[in-house]
Amino acid sequence: MLARKLPLILHNLPWSVSSRAGSDLARRHYDVIVVGGGHAGTEAAAAAARVGAETLLITQKIATIGALSCNPSLGGVGKGHLVRELDALDGLCGRAGDWAGVHFSILNRSKGPAVWGPRAQLDRERYRQFIQSELLSTPRLTVLEGSVEELLVSQSNPNEPGHHRVTGICLVNGSQPILSSSVVLTTGTFLSGSLFMGQTTTPGGRIGDAPSCSGLSHTLRETLGLRVGRLKTGTPPRIVKESVELSLVQIQTPDKEPTPFSFLNTHTHCKPEEQLPCYLTHTTPGVERVVRESLHLNCHIQQDSKGPRYCPSIESRVLRFPGRQHQVWLEPEGLTSDLLYPQGLTMTMPPDLQLRLLREIPALHRAEIRTPGYGVHYDFVCPTQLNPSLQVKSTQGLFLAGQINGTTGYEEAAAQGLWAGVNAARAALSLPLLALCRTQSYIGVLIDDLVGRGVTEPYRMFTSRAEFRTSLRPDNADIRLTPRGFEEVGCVSLRRYKEAVRVRDSLQEGLAALKSVTLSSTRWREKLVERLQVINFCSFSISGLDLLQYKDVSFEMLAAIFPEHLSPYLEFSQRLNIEAVYRPHCEKQSREIERVQEEESLSLPPDMDYLSLPTSLSSEVRELLDRVRPNTLGAATRIPGMTPAAIVHLLHYVLRTAQRNQHTGQRVKAACKP
Amino acid sequence: MLLSTPWRLWRSAISTLKSLSRPAPVRHLSIPTDAVCDADTIFALSSGHGRCGVAVVRVSGPASSMVLRNMTGLTQTLPPPRTALLRRITDPHTKELLDRGLVLWFPGPHSFTGEDSAEFHVHGGPAVITAVLQGLGSLKGVRPAEAGEFTRRAFHAGKLGLTEVEGLGDLIHAETEAQRRQALRQMDGELGHLYQDWSSRLKRCLAHVEAFIDFSEDELIEDGVLNQVDSSVHRLQTEIERHLGDERRGERLRNGVQVVIAGATNAGKSSLLNTLCQRPAAIVSPIPGTTRDVVEASLDIGGFPVLLSDTAGLRDGLDSVEREGVRRARQRVEQADLTLVVVDSTQLPTEPKQAPTFLQGYLSIVLPQPSGGNPEEGREATSDRVLLVLNKSDLVPEAQKERTERELRESLGLPPACFLSCHTTTGLGDFLAVLQSRVKTLCGNPLSGAPSLTQARHRAHLQQSVQALSQYHQYRNHDLALAAEGVRLALTHIGRITGRVGAEEILDIVFRDFCIGK
Repeated sequence: MLARKLPLILHNLPWSVSSRAGSDLARRHYDVIVVGGGHAGTEAAAAAARVGAETLLITQKIATIGALSCNPSLGGVGKGHLVRELDALDGLCGRAGDWAGVHFSILNRSKGPAVWGPRAQLDRERYRQFIQSELLSTPRLTVLEGSVEELLVSQSNPNEPGHHRVTGICLVNGSQPILSSSVVLTTGTFLSGSLFMGQTTTPGGRIGDAPSCSGLSHTLRETLGLRVGRLKTGTPPRIVKESVELSLVQIQTPDKEPTPFSFLNTHTHCKPEEQLPCYLTHTTPGVERVVRESLHLNCHIQQDSKGPRYCPSIESRVLRFPGRQHQVWLEPEGLTSDLLYPQGLTMTMPPDLQLRLLREIPALHRAEIRTPGYGVHYDFVCPTQLNPSLQVKSTQGLFLAGQINGTTGYEEAAAQGLWAGVNAARAALSLPLLALCRTQSYIGVLIDDLVGRGVTEPYRMFTSRAEFRTSLRPDNADIRLTPRGFEEVGCVSLRRYKEAVRVRDSLQEGLAALKSVTLSSTRWREKLVERLQVINFCSFSISGLDLLQYKDVSFEMLAAIFPEHLSPYLEFSQRLNIEAVYRPHCEKQSREIERVQEEESLSLPPDMDYLSLPTSLSSEVRELLDRVRPNTLGAATRIPGMTPAAIVHLLHYVLRTAQRNQHTGQRVKAACKP
Repeated sequence: MLLSTPWRLWRSAISTLKSLSRPAPVRHLSIPTDAVCDADTIFALSSGHGRCGVAVVRVSGPASSMVLRNMTGLTQTLPPPRTALLRRITDPHTKELLDRGLVLWFPGPHSFTGEDSAEFHVHGGPAVITAVLQGLGSLKGVRPAEAGEFTRRAFHAGKLGLTEVEGLGDLIHAETEAQRRQALRQMDGELGHLYQDWSSRLKRCLAHVEAFIDFSEDELIEDGVLNQVDSSVHRLQTEIERHLGDERRGERLRNGVQVVIAGATNAGKSSLLNTLCQRPAAIVSPIPGTTRDVVEASLDIGGFPVLLSDTAGLRDGLDSVEREGVRRARQRVEQADLTLVVVDSTQLPTEPKQAPTFLQGYLSIVLPQPSGGNPEEGREATSDRVLLVLNKSDLVPEAQKERTERELRESLGLPPACFLSCHTTTGLGDFLAVLQSRVKTLCGNPLSGAPSLTQARHRAHLQQSVQALSQYHQYRNHDLALAAEGVRLALTHIGRITGRVGAEEILDIVFRDFCIGK
């Protein structure tokens, strides 16, 4: 039961997609138009179609849909959480990862299940093919090759907040506009993007692709009045595998038993023994020397826009932490690829110097570069201008996702894409927009951080950003999200829903069964002799659930003692182990979670006039609220500088207004239902 | 594999229903103050501090009956609901007798908060009150209430109407203000530095554990990092535990109503202090700028403890010592419960009609400006916490004095003013009467922040912090995520004393201390 169906791989796949698109073009009106075919765009288009919207995906080149522009890997610590959650909501990337992975490992295996990081090295070709064939076979989804010239907006609907309303897009060379109710922009680094290598600068968002049209950027800034900022990122040179001295590097082997990303898969496409290794090597003082000598030839590094602190170029690493050895991972690019990807060597110096730098590393002393590294500067839209639905506050029907919101990483982009796609479809179908709470998911944490606090540097997910980390684990993403995804959101298939419900019920029953098997400490000791030496019990009756909290005890051991009670749940032994250990900690958190959810359920009207609100708020607080314009009372409490008293005044005002509105038939809509 | 009995289906239907049901609106809405847990049992002194006949300590929460049992030795039965009972009140651990007093038991929902509640009516001496509060704080799951928490719980339980919520906002504002002033005073000294130091070390520990969790798989983060955290956490635990065990040597509390004398140089501030103390506690001389530091004296005014401070005259001092004196003076005024603003009467305008404007201007120089807040609120707060002392009245013609007094009485927005001559002691009796009634009001107000309660709150947070740190050691070797949760909890508790710590702050330390390059 690997992927839903084996992808139909056609050699002339791009052609077949565009021909299909050609026949549908006559429609000229869609529910949702998604601009961009990267990780955000593909998830957005697929999610919108799953929710039930007639969807059009527009991309510059159909051939690059699903391309991994940077590193050939998916998941990791924090990012793996996002992939699992995306899969729980029936997103693409988890299953694509299982299909394309060539090296699977769970990072942080020794640090506790809450921070396990499922990760895979990917075969670029397979990943692209999976995504393309998946999109091709998604009902209600049309793919079109083209470049967007202009975003079309009109007067807003007076019954809803916002100054404008999206009506569609205009293509470059397109004779007629294509109309739609919603538009999702996932333009990545293409918004006023410029590429840097050495001292040369060319407009564009990715090497080998044409730059996006400047009209879009102009509309966002001038017509819609959105605030934009500038960020930078980069990618390393690709190295010819044969030119690497593999005898001089450490070999990193994958997990013997690959763990799939997707809750639907029991095994990965790649057989365990067919997996490829990764290699580890280190920088030398020579690398530092080349960086210093080439600084005057390096425009990218001289620019003062913000780059990621955690994905820095080798230049900035060396400059910030001189005199150290830095790790360099050499990652496979695929089963048939002859290239290696040097993770940690992002650089933007001139190509001849890139080669000199690489060759300062012993294992790369005769390395050959296939394509040099380069840097990208691009515009992002300050995400505090969005709602938690990822809709632009001032523009009805316009949704943004991915790097355009100031994030970095495939998984972060995909997560926003899925949620923007869901809401774009819901808006088009006149369904209420939805938010994911930060108490429920990492996707919720990501979006809440973005729209609530904004970004000052490319935003990446870390587990330490999630205050409810012990509850939001990769193992339980299905229980957390799939039922809601089906019942309320509408982006999950019936098959997945049924499976998640079966798992949820079985886990509950398994835990109940564990609780029901009790013995005295002496009896337990007799049965588990060698394992229980360190454990001292003072209680007479100890349940299996209590016992499972000790690290030397496993569900399998207990099932061997009580086969009639516990063996039906052996399928879930790992998850039951985790549940037993984490349950007490999650229960402690649950009240706090409830409190946050209650606060999140009270939305603040987006057009509230804080400056003249007839309640006693200090002018400082008024200005703060006016600037940030929180969506919910919960978001208001997280604004630095808010006072408890101000929150109470705000609550009072909103409750009073809500009560008044009830008489007139209006309701304050919950933004985040627990 | 699984039996699909009707019973099983029924159970799964129930659980589905449960997961679908939404909490009812409005009535359950919480009023966020801080990340405090409603499962805790809370206590607070709900009468004033200072010398009073009876002090009332309130307890609310699920453990209230346990508290009552442990503090009164009522092992078998609880007192009948809402009936006063005279009991020996003892320390829950040492069983040492603290006081004999009345206890009352209010089982929920028939209580102010809707929860199980209890009240202790004890003798009003500071020693007894402190002992009772500390005894309560030492019980597991029991902690001092946060600002406005009793009322907040009452609101939660649907005991307050919507109209009362407005008042709640003001109450929380007043309580947080009082606690802020109280905390500022406590945090000023050695103790404050100690807490700050613990907080910053905990932050570092957490940042390093988080760095290890989020980055060690891809980056060069040596295992040594965790070993350092181990010993740091251990040291912190030992230090906090030693501090908690060392009750007697704790920093002297600045007990009593804080009254600060402030004003321009040479207005006679030190003379006023000396007149009130009837001893030369501060040097008095006719040279402007004689008092360069803060001079303190403990007084008893009308039976209430008062800590009187004289401050340097507020002017742009010429030398650095005096500038520092002025800085401290301003700081004191900010922390004061009551400020006596001393004015040299001979400087008053000879035309009495201009006196109110002159004094407004004078006040705006001496008093810290209310930050941002609306001017209405600021003025109200000022007149409550300020007395104007028009000194050197013997040098002003009697007729001008009388007309000025009349003008001031009629003008709005000015705090009460008293003419006084420290030299001849004319007007001292009237001034003392005004001062005494003001001190009495302040003392009788539980909001003015009893130092013993602040101390009890600090102790409770420190205790919880130590407990949380033991979770770190418990999970250190097999579940770092849960171990980190322990450090995070510990930091949250210390943060309640020193200020909150956000995730971004931790990430800043991570990126400062490690080269992360994935």
